[in-house]
Amino acid sequence: MESRNFHVVAETGIHARPATLLVQAASKFSSDITLSYEGKDVNLKSIMGVMSLGVGQGADVTISASGEDEADAITAIEDTMKKEGLSD
Amino acid sequence: MDYENLARTILKNVGGKENINAAWHCATRLRFKLKNEDIAQTQDIENLDGVVTVVKSAGQYQVVIGNAVAKVFDPLARLANLDTEDKPATENKQSNDTIINRFIGFISGVFTPFLGAMAGAGVLKGLLALFVATGWLQTTSGTYQIWYAAGDGFFYFLPMMLAVTAAKRLNVNQFVAVALAAALVYPTLATAISSSKGIDFFGIPVVPTTYSSSVIPILLAVWVLSYIEPVLDKIFPEAVRNILTPLAALMIMTPLTLLVVGPLGTSVGTILSNGVSAIYNFAPFVAGAIMGAFWQVFVIFGVHWTFVPVMMNNIAKLGYDPLLPILSVAVISQAGAALGVFLKTKDPKMKSLAGSSVLTAVLGITEPTIYGVTLKLKKPFICASIAGAIGGAIAGAGGAHASSFTLPSLLALPTYLGNGFVSVIIGLVVAFTLGTILTYLFGVSNDRNAKSTIVNNENSLKTETILPPVSGTIIPLTSVKDEVFASEAMGQGIAIVPDSDVIVAPVNGTISAIYPTKHAIGIISEKGAEILIHIGIDTVALKGKYFEQLVEQNQKIKQGDPILKFDRNAIKNAGYDTSIMLIITNTAAYQIEETLETKADHNWLLTLTPVTK
Repeated sequence: MESRNFHVVAETGIHARPATLLVQAASKFSSDITLSYEGKDVNLKSIMGVMSLGVGQGADVTISASGEDEADAITAIEDTMKKEGLSD
Repeated sequence: MDYENLARTILKNVGGKENINAAWHCATRLRFKLKNEDIAQTQDIENLDGVVTVVKSAGQYQVVIGNAVAKVFDPLARLANLDTEDKPATENKQSNDTIINRFIGFISGVFTPFLGAMAGAGVLKGLLALFVATGWLQTTSGTYQIWYAAGDGFFYFLPMMLAVTAAKRLNVNQFVAVALAAALVYPTLATAISSSKGIDFFGIPVVPTTYSSSVIPILLAVWVLSYIEPVLDKIFPEAVRNILTPLAALMIMTPLTLLVVGPLGTSVGTILSNGVSAIYNFAPFVAGAIMGAFWQVFVIFGVHWTFVPVMMNNIAKLGYDPLLPILSVAVISQAGAALGVFLKTKDPKMKSLAGSSVLTAVLGITEPTIYGVTLKLKKPFICASIAGAIGGAIAGAGGAHASSFTLPSLLALPTYLGNGFVSVIIGLVVAFTLGTILTYLFGVSNDRNAKSTIVNNENSLKTETILPPVSGTIIPLTSVKDEVFASEAMGQGIAIVPDSDVIVAPVNGTISAIYPTKHAIGIISEKGAEILIHIGIDTVALKGKYFEQLVEQNQKIKQGDPILKFDRNAIKNAGYDTSIMLIITNTAAYQIEETLETKADHNWLLTLTPVTK
């Protein structure tokens, strides 16, 4: 199990575009990947799940992966977060 | 336009039929699942006369044709189909899943729709066995017989239930499949086949086989039917196809099943039962381990019936049978595994099914346990088999025997009294506890479903129709001026340029998400579709201004209920596009058809048909 904390800096939070990109990044891996925010856990491979959290600017979220490719998954997601300006 | 030629060229340019895993079409597009999209000559296809463009999304290679799509698809399907008779085989190679996994997936898939009814009937059978064991009911009483028929009817006619679900999955005429199953369990025929004289079909003898309560024969038959039916459809002209295809299918398939499938199972079973008996004679514990481990596998394939005459014969000749007690051990190991699942799983649906199936399995009814729980999750079935093997070896080595023929369960214990009784008890206890412990430790992988607030219910998806969430003009999602939506990266869907200010629920369901800025709403429909309604483009920047939400998260909604108000003119004046996007975010689970209407009124917008994986 690999996990990492992110501080969301993007003004619009994790909305349609970033949510889609995160889900796409996560779906490339076989590991179970979870996004946790305010005590709720959702499957990072489900757009509806990610959107349902309504993660806004300034939020602290945790993404964890468990499975064979967990380390690669976390790295790829971290890259996506940074590339899209979601976190620093 | 020469559609035949167009179809041929498209087929060639997508890499030929060898490169196609699946092909279908919606209202305007040919949709392919290609093995390798890189082989496809996208440029050449786009340049073809009659092709609008090519869209690659969600693992689909879509060739946009327009309204004439069906005219292109028919010759294409014919061209590709002629040589794709081995399609399932190529799919096997392509898929990461092993054939065994796909087979298990198919089997548990055909059971899933009726698990609840099967578990209910199973509990009734279990209770009746208990009533008889306690002396409250006599098996000769009318009360018992009526209740027994109520409980056993489901299991006796199981092939008919399976025909319904298997036909649906394999896209075969359901009623023909059920008629075929009905013929197999037809009482007069069943009696004639098993009579001492036997019967023949044009001189070919029919091997005595019991089809009631069987699983594999009907699944094989429906599978074969799924290949025969399209061929028959092609032979008969359309005007008479409705009658002649079922007529020919039933005329061919019923004898074919009786002559081929039945004997196949029977001969395999005879080899097995003779083999196990032979092994028992020189190494009882080995025979015990084999029976304990594989009895349930025999049951799944329906070859277990061949053991019954062997056991009956043993009891008649020797006064006892050594295999029967081991079967009870195998049954109890499944109950143990189900208890392990019950203790470990966090999925509430699985928990309740596993819990009730422990009880029914202890009483000897293992179908709900196997098809609903242990085989479905695969690992618990393996755990149960290991536990059954060890328990069976103990009972076999201890020389356990049964003095009369009863169905294996805890209730059969009195018939095991005497020689080796202690070994049966030890074997049962070991099988049960070991089944529970192994399953608890290794059998249930981390429940991803239970962790997520969104229930992954792909198994229970149903066909459904999505109505417009707002009135207005329908435009293709791909024409929306936002790359994320237009590329269908979030999923397929449709867009509407609204002419009113109220969003209504497009389906019955639950509000799963309201984004804090209120411009996007997620809905999970009763039938399983995940629908995202997004109002305007870039309207997240309005931070909720001009939006008024009329529902709360997790609220249940009915189709047509107002869920959100928005100030169309104010949003437009603020410089935003007010297109409403409706996206199916679990697109991958469906084949989606879009409306051809241009006006969003009370007409349907999308129909979603679940695809089986």
